[in-house]
Amino acid sequence: MSIVTDLLAKPGVIAAGEYAYRGDRFSYRGALSEEHARMASIMCRATTMGANMEGRMLEVFQPRSGLFPPRGWVVHGPEYTVCVMANVFCMLDNAKGSINGTIDFMTQALAKVSSDLI
Amino acid sequence: MATLDELMELPGAMAAFEFRGSGELLEQRIAYPERINESTLDLLAHMCAANMSIATMQARGWEKVTHMKGFYPIQEFTLVGFDWSVVVSGLDRERFKDRGKASLPPFTGVVLANEKADYEAAFFTMEKPEPAP
Repeated sequence: MSIVTDLLAKPGVIAAGEYAYRGDRFSYRGALSEEHARMASIMCRATTMGANMEGRMLEVFQPRSGLFPPRGWVVHGPEYTVCVMANVFCMLDNAKGSINGTIDFMTQALAKVSSDLI
Repeated sequence: MATLDELMELPGAMAAFEFRGSGELLEQRIAYPERINESTLDLLAHMCAANMSIATMQARGWEKVTHMKGFYPIQEFTLVGFDWSVVVSGLDRERFKDRGKASLPPFTGVVLANEKADYEAAFFTMEKPEPAP
């Protein structure tokens, strides 16, 4: 099974997807329209690119910082949380899902994914 | 609003800090000065302020376009690094805005070691309401 399928099988996950770092394609599953999934992919990719730039800057500022290289980011809203690791995104219902479990699963599943393409 | 000392009690806490919406570092606690110093935290605070602003813009836009609610206001932004994560919260500022106050409290942030990080505990601590006067 793909990580997106695995994520969607977890409690509280309403949608999950993957995007190409170069921005030319995406795929998703879950409760989003194609157009909204495209928008989510673009926003997630843009923030991931920014986070990677920031991580590199921080590394120059203080070498061997534990924040480099960035693995991903999480935005926690009142009802939903967006978790992004590498080039995979996931939307989670806070009341039904586990944020710690989702972050742990994604970081482990994507631990060996190279960030060279960013 | 969680105090810096409360944030330093979180599992894996390496540093806790407060910063303005414009990113300037205001106050900090550092558990391992050989790993994180004040000027690194200052840069990190500026990064976190920028990320909170971008995430807020995206959440507002997302809700307008999709008519899905529950993403805005952003309560916490977390950057997950290779060994550390940084969690920042602006929820107290939203509470002040809801009360019509013009002067807003600072953002709070905590740097956590990933191997011990409990993100939900960090969110819970940061979202704790201020005690009634």
